[in-house]
Amino acid sequence: MITEERDELIERAARSLAVLPPANHAVVMGIVQAARAHRRARPSLVTQFTGWMRAPSLSVASATMLAAATLVIGFVSGGSFNGAATAAADRGGVIRGGTTLIPAADAGADSRSVAVPMLLDAPSAKSVAVVGDFNDWDPTATPMQRFGGDGPWTVTMMAKPGRHLYAFMVDGVLTADPRAPKTKDVDYGGEASVLMVTKP
Amino acid sequence: MNEIDPSIPLRARAGDEKAFIEIVEFYYPRCLRFARNMLGSEQDAEEAVQDAFTRVYDSFPRFREDARFDPWLFRILANRCRTSMARSRRHRSMIEYGEVAALSAAAAPEEEFGADWAEEVRVVLETLPAEQREAFLLRHVEDLSYEDIAAVTGAGLSALRMRVKRACDTLRARLEKVER
Amino acid sequence: MMKRPLSLVAAAALVAIAASTARAQDARLSLIRDDATRDVVKAQLASASARGLPVDPFMSKALEGVAKKAPPKSIRAAMAALEKRMRSASDALGPLSTIDELAAGADALSVGVSDKTLKQMRTAAPGRTIAVELGVLTELVARGVPTKLATKTVLDLMAKGATGVQLTALGRDVQGDVAAGLRPDVALDLRGRNVLSLLPPPPTVSNVNVRPR
Repeated sequence: MITEERDELIERAARSLAVLPPANHAVVMGIVQAARAHRRARPSLVTQFTGWMRAPSLSVASATMLAAATLVIGFVSGGSFNGAATAAADRGGVIRGGTTLIPAADAGADSRSVAVPMLLDAPSAKSVAVVGDFNDWDPTATPMQRFGGDGPWTVTMMAKPGRHLYAFMVDGVLTADPRAPKTKDVDYGGEASVLMVTKP
Repeated sequence: MNEIDPSIPLRARAGDEKAFIEIVEFYYPRCLRFARNMLGSEQDAEEAVQDAFTRVYDSFPRFREDARFDPWLFRILANRCRTSMARSRRHRSMIEYGEVAALSAAAAPEEEFGADWAEEVRVVLETLPAEQREAFLLRHVEDLSYEDIAAVTGAGLSALRMRVKRACDTLRARLEKVER
Repeated sequence: MMKRPLSLVAAAALVAIAASTARAQDARLSLIRDDATRDVVKAQLASASARGLPVDPFMSKALEGVAKKAPPKSIRAAMAALEKRMRSASDALGPLSTIDELAAGADALSVGVSDKTLKQMRTAAPGRTIAVELGVLTELVARGVPTKLATKTVLDLMAKGATGVQLTALGRDVQGDVAAGLRPDVALDLRGRNVLSLLPPPPTVSNVNVRPR
């Protein structure tokens, strides 16, 4: 719109800068997931439980990550993928809840979430999700997708470097990862699968 | 300028994850556009946008019920962009306003007739001091009112008008040469 | 002892924080459908919070129990056990610990690593967070490496400058070796030496002063 302030030249310049990029759905979900992963990483005294809710069933699957040879022996390494879904979310100090709020000096670099590909062969399953200490065992947080009618179930999820316990929720039943090492669940009995995540 | 239905941020604030997704879907294109224009780097822009939405997600409890979402979001995004520029190793040297005249005189013989307009605009944009670029983009590309821009940047109205004016003057001076 | 009354502003602030925390707590607790379970979890969260412990790991532990369809009794016991470990971890790792460090410390204690070891790990790398290193130690012990050997190796490598990434790789390699049938202590010995060989040699001050013959 041409006004006193905005003559034709400025109008043309502004128009050339006003081109909108498309809202790629995968990118949007990547942003949402990274924001949620970051929330889990640094709850503050006030925001600790706000925003917790069932997520709709959508995830960011990255077919190229499946090729990672590490999956074959059941261990998962962190990788990063491009675009807005890059783990830029996990930055800054991790704040301790309760009565003290003290940021750790260098928690930022080490505690950044990393993209981790997960895979399960379950041809007759109707729904599969990853549950673990990285998503508060919420079966709606990290649903997996299947390519084609009988391919493996996959998802690329965010988790921080370190040791994690997890399992798959297959049609409502908690199932260990056949490709991963197991460990005894000290508190609830039974076994859990172990995931060691490292920075890329 | 399109603003999101005000009930959606309120729902997101109350914990509705679907509402947060709607917010990202609605604002992502504009946020990325602003960040790209501000930072001049696709990678930096995507990172700044991700950071901004993460902060929005974290900061919802601080979002006042009677506030408008647009300026609040853009304030967070503008801050992320400023942080990114401060941090960036690819930081391009910023040319002060006073030096523009000398620059255009030196560049004139080199400019091609019919140079790509968009590219030329971006080049000039990059030469603007960050504050002017920010004010210009918010005003003429993102279409915010001066009151909203004041809320986003924390600067006074007259200072903002001056920044926009200077940015326009610089753009005119450089771009008129391209136009011929 | 007479309590001094809070100023009006401070009191209002506390009410506001408590209200928003309470509101915040409600949102996540509402995921727990069973009333008995929810009451148990609420009580345990309050207990943890009262001791100044971060509540997030407790919520996670509770939701793990819900996912595993554990009865309220088991969830209470699990959260109580976690509280005990978190308190020990907090004492050992110090007041500046991150939530991740405390959670990782609690995990380490759960497999038999001692408080003393947690303290030693803290002093082995004073400038940085050690959640990852704690996780590696936990995993080595969980794989069957004798606690004493695992502790000694990890502390030694940390003191010599091994990074979290190197130690995680060590942990994963040992996992693989054990899965392939190698004895855990042998696997750690092997992999530990590999990491050692990659670390820079310590600076030798004495060299500087040697007079050439």
